[in-house]
Amino acid sequence: MTAAQAATPPVLQLEQVARRRAGRAAVQDLSLSLAPGQVLGLLGVNGAGKSTTLAMIAGALRPDSGSIHLNGDDFLEQPELARRLIGWLPERAPVWPELTVTEHLDAHARLRGLRGDALRGAREAIVERLELLPLARRLAGALSQGQRQRLGLACALLHRPALLVLDEPANALDPVQVGALRKLIREQATAGTAVILSTHVLVEVTAVCDRVAILHEGRLRHEGPVRADDHAALERRFFEIAMQARAA
Amino acid sequence: MSLVAMFRLEVRRLRVQPLAWVLLALSLAWLGWGFTRLLGDFLAGEIKRAALPDGPGYVDLVAVPLLGQLAQLAFLVVPLLAMSTLAGERRNGTLPLLFAAGVPASRIVLGKYFALLLWLLLWLLLTLAMPLSLAHATTPDWGKLAAATLGIALMLAALTALTVAASAFTPHPALAAVLGLLIGLALWTVNLGAQMAGLNGGAINWLAMSTHEQNLLRGLVSTTDILWFVLLIAVCLALAARRLAADRERG
Repeated sequence: MTAAQAATPPVLQLEQVARRRAGRAAVQDLSLSLAPGQVLGLLGVNGAGKSTTLAMIAGALRPDSGSIHLNGDDFLEQPELARRLIGWLPERAPVWPELTVTEHLDAHARLRGLRGDALRGAREAIVERLELLPLARRLAGALSQGQRQRLGLACALLHRPALLVLDEPANALDPVQVGALRKLIREQATAGTAVILSTHVLVEVTAVCDRVAILHEGRLRHEGPVRADDHAALERRFFEIAMQARAA
Repeated sequence: MSLVAMFRLEVRRLRVQPLAWVLLALSLAWLGWGFTRLLGDFLAGEIKRAALPDGPGYVDLVAVPLLGQLAQLAFLVVPLLAMSTLAGERRNGTLPLLFAAGVPASRIVLGKYFALLLWLLLWLLLTLAMPLSLAHATTPDWGKLAAATLGIALMLAALTALTVAASAFTPHPALAAVLGLLIGLALWTVNLGAQMAGLNGGAINWLAMSTHEQNLLRGLVSTTDILWFVLLIAVCLALAARRLAADRERG
């Protein structure tokens, strides 16, 4: 973390957040914070609570207890903060199958409060940045999973959010697209956007993240900085946590 | 602002749904056929009616019966059109996207509801255009026609609200359509037993949609009847919004 990042208030602050799902504790006593320009990787095995955590941060799900603050404002009291502050790419990038890619982007932009020239400008910029022009008139229902993922990412980035929440963003992307995604995440961070992404892939974390948080059975088991040459240490830590929990 | 965005999104989705256009085309073809038959009967009986000083006119014999046929079709068309409103969002997994865009549940429901109403209003106007196209050649009872149109508009709005509520409670659009149809029919016929027993008043008759609709189709506009429809619409939409808000709580 840079000195400037440490000095600015966190974009995201989670305190003692808990949520039950399907009769079990999906997330328990989770506290995290994220400064502008930071990239946090959320690691964990299947069912660790990553998607539930991200859905709560994105405002799609309310926590049972605890607090979430966005730029110092109580997000649970003001869910409308999500409109301008958060961009969310959920797992499997859901779409309205009967709308074209352009119609999708327009609908998302309007839901986020963009109008007229601002809407057109934002749409053209994101279409160019994510190379969506050849897909612009295609129906979302006819896109491949990788293309849907890119469309979902475009919708998340369209309104230039302060916090980008990405749930398994590299799913179904080919290696070239994964490389482009990593570049895009780093660009966003450089521009001051805080990014939180969940993944199973450890190399994803060492490639793009400044910090890592490891969740297991809904609890935060590890949090710390990541170095690009730290892959082996991170892998060791991850398996230690998974094995300890299994032994317990 | 988010209400307008929801409305536009839903209008756009309706505009590209083949089912919406197929329903519109088939139902208008059926109503067009009905109109020509009603008109034929009206013209055939013109000489007999000339002898009656206060006999039924064009509106009584053509326009209102045509609107009655539209009301019958509405029991099928409205549930089919509105079944995916919220159930489809749930099935596509797009409902969380709307929550995450900071759109309150009430605005999601209202935006979708108004979009459906716009489509149904178009349906009603195209149906009305048939009798109105010949209105210049007759002396229509405009008051009666306006009351009947209001009655049909309220009925369409009520059936839509019912199906939207049904759609909020199930992830399966087909189930929402069946629920919308059954509840609509139940509300229409709830007083059938009482009527067969010769009871023409009381709470059971007040509860029935047919009681209020038939008054309006006869040209009788009363606050009680309008209030009944407004209450039903408000209750259904409030239930749908509550259910959606609970979805966000429950996940």
